[in-house]
Amino acid sequence: MHVEEFRIAQFGSRLGTRWEGERARERLESLVRSLPEEGQVRLSLHGLEVLSTSFADELVGKAYQRVVDGEFGDRTMVLETPSRELAEGVDVKLAQRRLAMLCLRDERWELIGLDTPALSETLARILDKGQTTTRELAEELGLQMNACVNRVARLAELRLVRRRKIGMKGPQDIFEIHSILEA
Amino acid sequence: MTEATRLTIETIDTVLEQVIEREADTVDLRGARFVDPHALLLLALLVLECDEAGRPLRVDWPTAPAVRRWMTAMGLFAEIGAAASSPPPRDASSALQPITAIGCEAGIGRIVEGFHHRLADRYPLTESSRRTLTAMMIELFQNIPHHSNATGRIADPHGISAMQDYEDSIFLAIADKGVGLRGSLRLRPGYEGISDAQALDRILREGLSRFSDAGRGGELKRIVGVVRSWDGAFALRSGSALLYFDEHGGDIYDVPAFPGVQLAVRLPLRRFGADG
Repeated sequence: MHVEEFRIAQFGSRLGTRWEGERARERLESLVRSLPEEGQVRLSLHGLEVLSTSFADELVGKAYQRVVDGEFGDRTMVLETPSRELAEGVDVKLAQRRLAMLCLRDERWELIGLDTPALSETLARILDKGQTTTRELAEELGLQMNACVNRVARLAELRLVRRRKIGMKGPQDIFEIHSILEA
Repeated sequence: MTEATRLTIETIDTVLEQVIEREADTVDLRGARFVDPHALLLLALLVLECDEAGRPLRVDWPTAPAVRRWMTAMGLFAEIGAAASSPPPRDASSALQPITAIGCEAGIGRIVEGFHHRLADRYPLTESSRRTLTAMMIELFQNIPHHSNATGRIADPHGISAMQDYEDSIFLAIADKGVGLRGSLRLRPGYEGISDAQALDRILREGLSRFSDAGRGGELKRIVGVVRSWDGAFALRSGSALLYFDEHGGDIYDVPAFPGVQLAVRLPLRRFGADG
């Protein structure tokens, strides 16, 4: 998978207004567009002192909304932060937009924005395995197939996993599911 | 005439009441022994508003030298275009951050940097408190270009801010005489009939914004949360409504109608700690 880093600190260490965020977003979206299909942008908060909620929404919230809406095909976006506190503004604004994003810190991941125990539990299993199927996942999580398919569909809608239909069992689609994090 | 010896968040509305509701053409502040930044900005806007309305306000300024020096150092007389009779020598050391114009959004980063440096020069703020305060200033300052002239009908909303430190607190004040919270929210379909008090309440309690975009709004609500958690005091005045709270509680009050939004945050110095 092709991964490109986008360091937000390139625009300053204390950010900022919506006006500043809008200008930064032009650069971010241009980078996303330049990636191959299934490419990924790692948004890095390293080097930042302050990230206001307004800047976070204008840069990350709005760009990520477009990713989730499918405007950038299968490309994905992940946040990297040196501290949870710095990611607070992104967390708040993604939740306000009912979006969720993978956030990496100290080689661990967490969901920021919209989060539910069910989403996190399912996502954790997929990220651990790297690749799985809805059938495997349903067995491992002790879920009815329908419930598992719904959870995976929600994760895929939120661009937190990739899924491919590999067949059918009765009326039920069987999917192969892929982590969006490199192994 | 006013007999207030302290012109503060708690008392400045008595001055506005005399001028706006009783149409007094003179305000006697000679006895004032203390003025806070919120009252200072409201005084500046009141004088400018009266000038623009064609009925200039005569102000008998405080006679206490320390108060006069501070008002001069804060740039009040320059702001209202008045030569304070025999202005005392400027004592810049007493003013933490003099009155600063908040205009277009592009200039806000530089203004916040200025406020940040003034504060950092005087206090060894912790990393966390510096972040919180800087983010708070960014959000509050940009509300002026975002909302004070939302209707496009205000010739000059005159956004200004100032900051002062005290023995036990830091006081940030921001004010404009634009369309106000109600004027801004009324632009959103379905909110045309909202009152000042309702606008204030819904913005602070629900994070409502004039924009329908899901990512907009909520900043003032979050700032209120921070101020509460830090045992600070908060005043937000718009039109004829004032929300005020401190560590003892608070409420929404009726006040004399005045254009725009005036906001004050007082944070206990102990919350800022020291690095290391």
